[in-house]
Amino acid sequence: MVVLVGIQFIPTTRNQSVLILQTDFNNTFQVPNNVQQILKISCYDCHSNNTNYPWYNKIQPASWLLENHIKEGKKELNFSEFGTYSKRRQKNKLKSIINQIKKDEMPLYSYTLIHKDAKLSERNKKDLIDWLSKQKDSIEK
Amino acid sequence: MKKSIYVLAFSVLLLGACKNDKKQVESNEMQTKEMQMDTDDGHDHSSMDESTMHENKDIEATTQKSASTSEIIDRYLQIKNSLAEDNSKKAAEGGKMMLAAFSNFDMNKLSESQYKEYMEILEDAKEHAEHISDSPIDHQREHFENLSTDLNDLISLLGTNKTLYVTYCPMYNNKKGAIWLSETKTIKNPYLGSKMPTCGEIQKQIN
Repeated sequence: MVVLVGIQFIPTTRNQSVLILQTDFNNTFQVPNNVQQILKISCYDCHSNNTNYPWYNKIQPASWLLENHIKEGKKELNFSEFGTYSKRRQKNKLKSIINQIKKDEMPLYSYTLIHKDAKLSERNKKDLIDWLSKQKDSIEK
Repeated sequence: MKKSIYVLAFSVLLLGACKNDKKQVESNEMQTKEMQMDTDDGHDHSSMDESTMHENKDIEATTQKSASTSEIIDRYLQIKNSLAEDNSKKAAEGGKMMLAAFSNFDMNKLSESQYKEYMEILEDAKEHAEHISDSPIDHQREHFENLSTDLNDLISLLGTNKTLYVTYCPMYNNKKGAIWLSETKTIKNPYLGSKMPTCGEIQKQIN
């Protein structure tokens, strides 16, 4: 909460370099650049400790709605803390991520409506699913 | 307060007398226990065990291990049967009750090595139960698949006195297949429901 409020006052670029944790997804797996890019643009706003806030976040109640949204998103899946999950949970999370992408459940329609660049192309989807499936199968439990 | 709930749950399990919905009967007992607990050090579980053991000495000896996983397994089977009937609402109720069953489980009986794995299974299974308690049926089934793996591992870890069948459905998930646990040999597929109720084969019998 404090972090989220604090983020408003810090330039976004700086904020990104400060908040990369040891437990970050990128430290848990060898993530290829293209996959990293897709995740960052389409997922990290709600599923990491590092949100790239849109301009309308300065207006209430958008700011409050976003905060709730991010809280929910991070509760389900937080890429910044992926390394803290047990292997069992990592594997299940990867499976859920793949399913959500396959079914076009994620990224949320309400989100891509405003963030056009976050919408996954068929190519994006394939790249993500292929790579994520490989990682999932490489986890023993 | 939380402690007293554990104590209550524990004594209910040991007595094997009542189901959850008859909690009121035990409320007096709970208050007595609560008072006992207040005088104890909050972390001293041995005294809690002693007080319950004293009352149920005979039963304790025979039901110790299996009683602990029984409620969790029962809730799982409830979800399984609801999904086989395509009944999303009933499955959701089962999910909620499963969360309760997990909090009723007495972790103090676990050995150190069991504890670590139990916590990993618990953390994962609770999340699946949460999703099952609040999702449409397709999503319930997705999480049921993982929950089944968790339950299977939980039983390998802690055992049960129930007879269960590990059943395999080769069709689910684009023919990737998935297992579930059943209390009967009769196949009632929880993944495909009425679309393909008898799809599945028994892989293993537990007990």
